[in-house]
Amino acid sequence: MSAPMPFWRAAGMTYITYSNICANLVRNCLKEPHKAEALNREKVHFAISTWKDGKAEKPVVLLKFELPK
Amino acid sequence: MAMAALRREGRRFAPLLSPRPIAAAAPRSSPSFLSPEEDVPFGARSISTQVVRNRMKSVKNIQKITKAMKMVAASKLRAIQTRAENSRGLWQPFIALLGDTPSIDVKKNVIVTVSSDKGLCGGINSTSVRLSKGLLKLNSGPDKEPKYVVVGEKAKVQLIRDSRKHIHLTISELTKIPLNYTQVSVLADDIIKNVEFDALKIVFNKFHSVVSFIPTVSTVLSPEVVEREVESGSGKLGELDSYEIEGGSTRGETLQNLAEFQFSCVMFNAVLENACSEMGARMSAMDSSSRNAGEVLDRLTLTYNRTRQAAITTELTEIISGASALEG
Repeated sequence: MSAPMPFWRAAGMTYITYSNICANLVRNCLKEPHKAEALNREKVHFAISTWKDGKAEKPVVLLKFELPK
Repeated sequence: MAMAALRREGRRFAPLLSPRPIAAAAPRSSPSFLSPEEDVPFGARSISTQVVRNRMKSVKNIQKITKAMKMVAASKLRAIQTRAENSRGLWQPFIALLGDTPSIDVKKNVIVTVSSDKGLCGGINSTSVRLSKGLLKLNSGPDKEPKYVVVGEKAKVQLIRDSRKHIHLTISELTKIPLNYTQVSVLADDIIKNVEFDALKIVFNKFHSVVSFIPTVSTVLSPEVVEREVESGSGKLGELDSYEIEGGSTRGETLQNLAEFQFSCVMFNAVLENACSEMGARMSAMDSSSRNAGEVLDRLTLTYNRTRQAAITTELTEIISGASALEG
């Protein structure tokens, strides 16, 4: 039962990140018309900001990236 | 776009709208509807109906805009409804495995309020805000510090007013592009990394039908709390011992993976359900506002016609009495 920590968690990833990378790999295995479609669908866009003590607010970070193809 | 146009209309006609209430309710007051000393130059024979005509035009324009918004919401709803319903299959296995424990008592509660970025969609945002505030009160105590993670612009605006010190994270512009799992899972990942939690309570409007949305709470527990519950053997979680775990990982690791994945799945479903409810609410809100505009237009038309008829009658009476005075 004393298995080592999975390599991806040792690298500081959460399961979500890991499964996303795996899912992206699978998407890349599709054939062409479907592949472009699937990769186009999965885009990331949102704005996130952290709050401290009610007022102090870090500037809004706008995330916009696509997973590597 | 449509909303901006609506605001513009409202501003342009605001001075015309405000000073005079609709007088159609008091039927015989119609000649005094436009106070003559204000709108009619001295010596003019009849009352000007220009103001009423302008207002009728503006009401008609507003009605057109709300109708268009209703159409847009209806078509968006149809696209998103199937996706929301399909995404329910993502969290159902988790409920079967881990059960749902909305009343669990832990120290670090994080309330994730899901709302929309845009308004004009009835009361769905205030419903989820009210539920979140209730949850916050329920979960606050001497050594507890509940926090908000706010998704969407509208809930943020409402929560800033009286509970800004509890807000920990705000997220917006999620619906700029069509919702997809990658996006929501990156978001869930960010939340997990930025917030310490024992239990995440996700508040959203579950889509039931076009006119009914059920404010819902989904609970995601942290792996440590799950472990604790398994050991105490209470409820559904006690049965987790009867499962065998494959592969090289321990149960703690598996539970951690599960908790993370569960959170991203529940978030995905919550965001979709809420977007779907938003569209449905906007559709019914816009429907009733176009109906209201129609009613206002009807009353205005009635007033307008009556005033015009009164002017004609007055003129006729004057002509006839003048003629009879000449004859007599």
